[in-house]
Amino acid sequence: MGAHHVNVILSSIIWTPMLFAVVAMFLPERDDEQRGRVRTVALAGAGLSFFVSAFFAILGQIGLGQGGGLSSAYQESHAWFWTFLFHAYYDLTADGMTLPLLVVTTTIFGCVIFHSWKIHERVRLYVILMLVLETAVNGVLCSADFVLFVAFWGLMLVPMYVLIRVYGGPGARRAAAWFAGFQGLAFVMIVATVAIIIIEAGNQSSDMVQDLKSFSTPAETIGFWMSFVAFAIAMAIFPVHTWMVEAQSKASPGVAAILSGTMLLLGAYGMMRISLVVFPAPAHYYSFAITGLAVVGAFWGSIGALRQDELRRFVAYMNVAQMSMVLLAIGAQTSVALVGAILLLAAHAFASAMLTLISGGVEERTRTTSIRAMGGLVAQAPRLAGFWLFAALSVIGIPALAGFTADFMVFSGSFPEHRIATVLVMASVIITTGGLLWVANRVFFGPVRDQFARVRDVTLLDLTVLIPLVGAVLLFGIRPGAIIPIISNGVLEITTRIAGG
Amino acid sequence: MNFTHALTLGLLPELMLAGTAVVSVTVAVARPGLRPDIHRWIACIGLVGSLVACGLILLGLRGVPTGVGIVVWRGGLTVDSFSVFIAILAGITALASCLVSDTPVRRIPARSSAFYGLVLVATAAVDAIAAERDMVTFFITLVLLLVCLVALGALVKTDPRGGVSSFEHLVEGVIGTACVLYGLVVLYGVTGSTNLAVVVGSVRTAPGVVALSAALVLLGLCATLGVFPLRQWVGRVGSNVPAGAAGFIIAMSVIGGGAALARVTVSGFGAGVRPWLWLVSVIASLALGHASLSALRESSVSRLVGHLVSAQAAMLLLGLLAFSTGSLGVPAYGMTAFLAGLGITSVATLAAFGVLSMIQRAGIEDAITDMRGLAHRSAPAALLLSVAVATLAGIPPLAGFLSRLLLVTSAADAGYGWLAVVAIAATLLTIIAAVRFIGLLYADVGDEVPFTLGATPLVSRVVAGAACLAGVVLVVLIQPLLAVATAGAGPLR
Repeated sequence: MGAHHVNVILSSIIWTPMLFAVVAMFLPERDDEQRGRVRTVALAGAGLSFFVSAFFAILGQIGLGQGGGLSSAYQESHAWFWTFLFHAYYDLTADGMTLPLLVVTTTIFGCVIFHSWKIHERVRLYVILMLVLETAVNGVLCSADFVLFVAFWGLMLVPMYVLIRVYGGPGARRAAAWFAGFQGLAFVMIVATVAIIIIEAGNQSSDMVQDLKSFSTPAETIGFWMSFVAFAIAMAIFPVHTWMVEAQSKASPGVAAILSGTMLLLGAYGMMRISLVVFPAPAHYYSFAITGLAVVGAFWGSIGALRQDELRRFVAYMNVAQMSMVLLAIGAQTSVALVGAILLLAAHAFASAMLTLISGGVEERTRTTSIRAMGGLVAQAPRLAGFWLFAALSVIGIPALAGFTADFMVFSGSFPEHRIATVLVMASVIITTGGLLWVANRVFFGPVRDQFARVRDVTLLDLTVLIPLVGAVLLFGIRPGAIIPIISNGVLEITTRIAGG
Repeated sequence: MNFTHALTLGLLPELMLAGTAVVSVTVAVARPGLRPDIHRWIACIGLVGSLVACGLILLGLRGVPTGVGIVVWRGGLTVDSFSVFIAILAGITALASCLVSDTPVRRIPARSSAFYGLVLVATAAVDAIAAERDMVTFFITLVLLLVCLVALGALVKTDPRGGVSSFEHLVEGVIGTACVLYGLVVLYGVTGSTNLAVVVGSVRTAPGVVALSAALVLLGLCATLGVFPLRQWVGRVGSNVPAGAAGFIIAMSVIGGGAALARVTVSGFGAGVRPWLWLVSVIASLALGHASLSALRESSVSRLVGHLVSAQAAMLLLGLLAFSTGSLGVPAYGMTAFLAGLGITSVATLAAFGVLSMIQRAGIEDAITDMRGLAHRSAPAALLLSVAVATLAGIPPLAGFLSRLLLVTSAADAGYGWLAVVAIAATLLTIIAAVRFIGLLYADVGDEVPFTLGATPLVSRVVAGAACLAGVVLVVLIQPLLAVATAGAGPLR
């Protein structure tokens, strides 16, 4: 299944949602029937993208198995512009790192589009922005050209800002402003990094492979830190996590699920793809600082979560703690840790999306965001409580769920390089575990409260949204062996670069 | 080819435009009761004719490696691929403006011929500026452009504020042209020639005086380009002159200012007069900062668009700096980025003001708060305005972003890393301003009364929509634009 046989697969994964967004743009939405049609069209777009990515991920695995080494499953390359200082290409690639993450993002977008059946106003705008966002996210994952990467990254800004602001609750305007400020800063830092890479590489090209060179020390250090800070903002790493906490708590549940499920994932992906691969020497040199940041972030996230009274702010701080574990793996820079980091990104994306959607559901049913005000919901909504516990257990890293293999690989891969940091981050997991169980206890267990006597359990729509996510968590948990060789293949590029190859 | 033939062919686009203006005015005098549309179509025919003439010159330039076709008056008038590029850009801008001019012209049916006459003469002035290297004619065409644009603003005014803003435009323009005049006079005093082409050879005798003259000329041209410190007119014209005309005035001034700056700095001073390089870099950084910060705290939509145009125009200055050799020793592509950016800026300016014109016609006020929830009142209007503003602000992945990326990389490649950092920081501010505005368009208001853009004639809607679409299409088709811009930049590199 080489690049020369099938060469529009990645384009179709990226552009199908955009195509359906254009179709949705021309559909009316005056009554429920028309709104349903708009949602169906959006679901078709997201679904098609999911099926293509999932199906070809399997074929990609075969392709990678046959190719071995540093091969990519799929590649597309067309010249974009060349009469300039550098040549830019519409260059797409999907290697072992990209393929699983593509499946993750398309799954989450599919689920969130299902969730749009809960949106009753401005449905068309909602699904159009979601589909544009999906195009941008998939585009970032597949870009093999720096200019293309930046263009897709930038495409996320406006749709996400509008989604947070228009569909969020009270305080959404402020949260959107935080998002715009932080993500705008991250974006321009990525642009600056790309400019440094293109000029310093001196290849008159913005191709990601061609520009892999040894840079001069100052340029390399500046480029590394600029890209690191930019992607740290996108990952919501301590101390640049505040935008995510605000956005996560104020955006509508579907938007917040995308935010925690895919945006943070892209930050980590960018850090691995650019900060580590393009600037391996400073990445290695400053690995101690990176892991130090991971330790602080892990404790900050897990302890911060305990101090929250809002359910979704709690989930947001959990995200900070989880992303700190990914950062630990990035600091360790071993093959096992990085494979674990990719698995953790996938596991976190599914679990965090579930927790966010369930939190939204709980808030909707109880009409409160306060954890203290909730309690005893398990009597009325046992299945809802079950889903919450399932997602929480995945975050904790219970065997047979996606988080287990990921955590295990991150810690076992990081320990040889940074023993103390790994132990400290592992210790923070105890606090995270306690926090998740404490919240489960406060929200779902304890005495039944009268005001929640009429709370209903999960609906068919909730099941439609949550079951694919549960399936994905189980699939990644029970059969990690199927996906690890693919990821290892992709991670090889990073470890080879760091080893000086 | 003798002198007369060369001059005639070289100035054919300008002659056609001036001739058409005379025809339009003559027809208006002979048949005063004619519909304004007649004058519009006469102007369009003249503009198409000038574009055809540009095409003929391009045919003549085919196979000329230097890109320089006709040189008369010892280099004082140079018709090359750069001047043809500017003439085509100005022609297209004017043509699009004529097609969307229905709203402002409808209010002044008796003076429609004057409106289109001024449009044609302003276009001819920009064409001439791009070809001039003689200081006297250069100055005259610059003043002609200013007079035409100010008169145009005053002609279509709908209230006293329009007259005041035109007067302010005049005052700022006069200050600018005075600076240019003083600079050119000092330059003449040093070199003893009115030809910019020979300035470089004479600078060694009095470098300080040449630096002073360069500073004065650059300061003066800031008014034409619409950048700090002489950029107040952009916002005022944008908010007080009907949008259909304001778009033309601002876009044409930016094209004229850009062409003039390129001719004076790159083509005139070149690498021999170094001070202009740091002067331009200082002006660019101040202008970028000022326009971007102003955009952040703006409360009027048309003034916001004006600030974004100013920021984009200031960004163009980065291209001028990268005109010779880059870090790798290969020719820099700053002028390519400059010309491509100029094209994108003018298209985006027309798009933004074209959409604003439609919205104004639907009775929506100009305050940013009046635009709140626009998407729920007219989804197409909000979409078009979003695209136009996003293009101007440099929001990715639209053409404005690509233009900024090309300008920033070429400046960084030419050794202006600090300026690239300033430009990137300024882009962050414009992006935040634009994102905030776009978010407001889609926000809830509660009592939303729908409106349609149907009040605007179909042609205007199609042209404004096409200009917005160009911001998207040019992302994919940036290569043809870059190829043309590279050819246009050839004589200056």
